[in-house]
Amino acid sequence: MIEATQTQTGPVGTGSSGSRRLGGLAIVALAILLVFGLVISPPDVVQGESVRLFYLHVPVILVAYTGFFFTMVGSIMYLKTNSVFWDLLAGAAGEIAVLFCAFGLFTGAMWGKPTWGVYWQWDARLTSTTVMFVMYIGYLAVRHLELPPEVRRRRAAVLGIVSILNVIVVHYSVTWWRGMHQGRTLGLDPQIEGASMMFSFFMGSVAFFLTAGWLLLHRFRVSWLVHQVDQEGLALAITERRAEGEGEGLAGSVS
Amino acid sequence: MGWPFIQPQQFVGDESYQPKCPQTGDDILTDSEATDSEATDSEATESQPVDQGLDLTPEPVPAPATGRASRWSARNTIIVSVLVAVLAFLVFQALSNARVFFYNVDEAIELRDELGETSFRMQGNVVSEDGVDEVGALLFTVGFGGETANIRHTGDEPSDLFELGQSVVVEGHWDGDAFVSSQILVKHSEEYVEDNPDRFDPDSDDNE
Repeated sequence: MIEATQTQTGPVGTGSSGSRRLGGLAIVALAILLVFGLVISPPDVVQGESVRLFYLHVPVILVAYTGFFFTMVGSIMYLKTNSVFWDLLAGAAGEIAVLFCAFGLFTGAMWGKPTWGVYWQWDARLTSTTVMFVMYIGYLAVRHLELPPEVRRRRAAVLGIVSILNVIVVHYSVTWWRGMHQGRTLGLDPQIEGASMMFSFFMGSVAFFLTAGWLLLHRFRVSWLVHQVDQEGLALAITERRAEGEGEGLAGSVS
Repeated sequence: MGWPFIQPQQFVGDESYQPKCPQTGDDILTDSEATDSEATDSEATESQPVDQGLDLTPEPVPAPATGRASRWSARNTIIVSVLVAVLAFLVFQALSNARVFFYNVDEAIELRDELGETSFRMQGNVVSEDGVDEVGALLFTVGFGGETANIRHTGDEPSDLFELGQSVVVEGHWDGDAFVSSQILVKHSEEYVEDNPDRFDPDSDDNE
């Protein structure tokens, strides 16, 4: 920890012993995933080696769903309590989720080419996932509108809540409509035959949830620090205005 | 996790806060300012009152004239809900139209006259692979719902998953009794089965 100057009041980074432990766990989990996903688990009877993308694609989308859920919870709690903490949490979760959703779309395209034969098709699931992705980018954009902070946060919160409908549509799209994308593998009776495959998928989920958790922690802390700096800036400006008021009244006034 | 959550500093009356002017290096706050925590008291008790006779009590700030209510009203909720419902209905309608994705073989055969030469997608299982014709087009038959159709494929090679029994979606149009396709998409199921060489396969010829 560097020496605090007279005006510095906070930490210099967003790391902590807890976050470092979380990060370490995430790295270990990713390493185990690599070993199981690429080496130990066998290919699929139908898809061959392409199946290995399943261990990336599905966990990453699950993380995105969870992130969007956090955004909804943060938005609801912000509207209820007016505490900036919830707004910052919603925003950080939204950003991480959008990132993982993009990664999901990308890994899906990579998987589609060797299996379906095309990188992309406008079928129900792919279309609805794109709509979800775009709507949440809209949510992030609303968070940066030039408006008074409370108005901006409230509008973003409403959008954060409404957008969760996308997740429901995306999830049920393979059940409700015909399309290329295969149906649900992970229900009460998972359609995975093979312990290595199951474990690789499990490790994928663990690794990406840990990674996303670590990213969320840091992103939230950065937002929190930015918020604190804004608050300090405001208080400093008030103090300086008052000091200016003093200066004019003294004999032999300062320039 | 022990990460310090810092609170905004209360600069007024905070004795440890001594900011300096970046140009001259002088203290911005005078000594009396830094230590006096009753700065809002406008009563002058000395010849030089702290606030110089200025009235520093906060004034009520008038609400910004935005021209519309900044509170979220019940009316707004209703409007947004109606809009979302309409949008959802439209999207649902659009996606429910099978023409958007594919017809199964039996449906496509039923609609053959209606469809004419228009391009559409058809789904079926590969019933037989019939080789290649004179111009190099891939020939095979797909079936679904008891009906079969002959496909003449002139487009790119299908993916490696294309084989007998696999579900495929072909995109093209009817040409008489046959279907001319420009694209084959192989539709794999949601099942994943390990390709384990030691796995017992009752249909295999290798069983002892």
